[in-house]
Amino acid sequence: MLSEIWRVALLGGVLAMDRSAGWNLMLGQPLVGACLAGAFLSPGTPWELWALRIPLGVGVLLQLLLTDPALPAAQRPRDTATAGVIGASIAVLSLERLHPFVPLTTGGILWVLVGTLAGLLAAVGGGWMEGSLRARNQRSALRAEELALEGRLGAFEALYWRGVARIFLRGATWSAAATVAGVALASLLLPRVAGLITGPRAGWIFASLMGVAFGAAFHTHVRAPRHGFRWAAIGAIATLLVLLRLNAGGES
Amino acid sequence: MTEFEPLPASALPPITPPPGPPAPAAIPRVRGRDLMRVESRALYIQALFSAERQQGPGFAFALLPVLRRVYTTAGERGRALARHMGFFGTHPVLSGIVLGVVARLEERRAQGLPVDEAQIETTKRALASPLAALGDPLFWVTLRPLAGLMGVLGMAVLPLADTVGPDLRVVVCPSLALLTYNAVAIRYRVAGVPRGYAMADDPGGLLRSLHLPELRRFFERVSAFAFGALVTLTLWPMAQSADPGHEGFAHKASVLAPFVLGSILTAILLRRWPGRTVEIAFAAALVALVLSTRI
Repeated sequence: MLSEIWRVALLGGVLAMDRSAGWNLMLGQPLVGACLAGAFLSPGTPWELWALRIPLGVGVLLQLLLTDPALPAAQRPRDTATAGVIGASIAVLSLERLHPFVPLTTGGILWVLVGTLAGLLAAVGGGWMEGSLRARNQRSALRAEELALEGRLGAFEALYWRGVARIFLRGATWSAAATVAGVALASLLLPRVAGLITGPRAGWIFASLMGVAFGAAFHTHVRAPRHGFRWAAIGAIATLLVLLRLNAGGES
Repeated sequence: MTEFEPLPASALPPITPPPGPPAPAAIPRVRGRDLMRVESRALYIQALFSAERQQGPGFAFALLPVLRRVYTTAGERGRALARHMGFFGTHPVLSGIVLGVVARLEERRAQGLPVDEAQIETTKRALASPLAALGDPLFWVTLRPLAGLMGVLGMAVLPLADTVGPDLRVVVCPSLALLTYNAVAIRYRVAGVPRGYAMADDPGGLLRSLHLPELRRFFERVSAFAFGALVTLTLWPMAQSADPGHEGFAHKASVLAPFVLGSILTAILLRRWPGRTVEIAFAAALVALVLSTRI
């Protein structure tokens, strides 16, 4: 487990840099983070298939759920960068450990659910932690200004790089700690409620979460832009026509 | 950054190099290598982000290679650095453009041309505000959600090629998201500092040359179109596989109900409480769990 947690920490740190330091290369998006976590963790050959598919499912749901169309200043503080990593890591590591107690139901939907809900909680917790980091940044900025006025440019740069390192460390420690806590909680809770977990129940919760994700995506992609309804309808009809055509072609 | 309204190009102060003595040979000019260093440092522009100064410390940090080049004493460099530590807020992808313009102005000031501190500050703010007002809606509101949606769409479009082998969608979906965003953003990142430096005398022309509103309108439509396609691609297989035992419409409706109800209710609730998706998701999961035990 230790080597896996190191990998989660490293990934969480790098993705936190993408989100908070200013890279903004989209690495910090939940879909990317979750898929990278699945590839990084690779819990061995028996789980190879699920270690890739479950993070993809977690990433897709978190991507739709955590995409906020508001401007950053108006958004609720949510750490989307580490949410994907934490959610996917908890799902994959718990799957590996709890499989004897909680079997895979309907194509791993249960673990996608566990990962998605864990990722949502992690996004909220990470957002709070980011707020505390900004308060610290304010103090560092004051010190940086003093160093600049004293002409100590080397010390200024060192202070700034320490700020960059702090972002990495925050992402790394939060990802590792939240993953360990999540796996521990899952190990504690899931075997106790294993009898209640059935395929249809997991399917219902999964379908409702997918519905919420699509409702959120509608809010983001259709409601906000001008003529959004018109273009969404064109997209839906065009795709339907292509599908009908492909279907007719397949039957003939 | 939301409070900024885009300024008309005519409102920006023109930077015309006033007639003066030629640059003394002793003062080094900014080199291409310095601009590349500024560009690479701009990748860390938000590392000391705070509510009070936003990207101010990051702006000063990114500009430091230029200040080191054009000013000769530690005191001059330090004072120039401290000037740039105040409030600065724009979209991080477009920050390079302002850095390029300010690099040119600092160079002229160091050369002894009549460019005062207030003029540099005014130009900086006059560029940063419209770039934030144009860049935030393009990159944060439109392009970033679209990139994520393209990744999700990849999952809906690509068939599961092999049920036992590795799932290639794990590579394709995130790659689609990364490519969609960076195909646009990297262009502005790479060209930002040199373009700002080259067009420092024409900030209005510089802003117009970026074509940010046009790009936004285009990507908004693509985004809505892609969402429509995603809905069809999701509902089609769901509707076809919802009733494998041919038990009738009631069975099909009960299978599709959580998805459809979840979508409609979320769309309604988010209108009332925007940004509350996490809370809505947990409430929906709880309701579905309760209902699944009753039905």
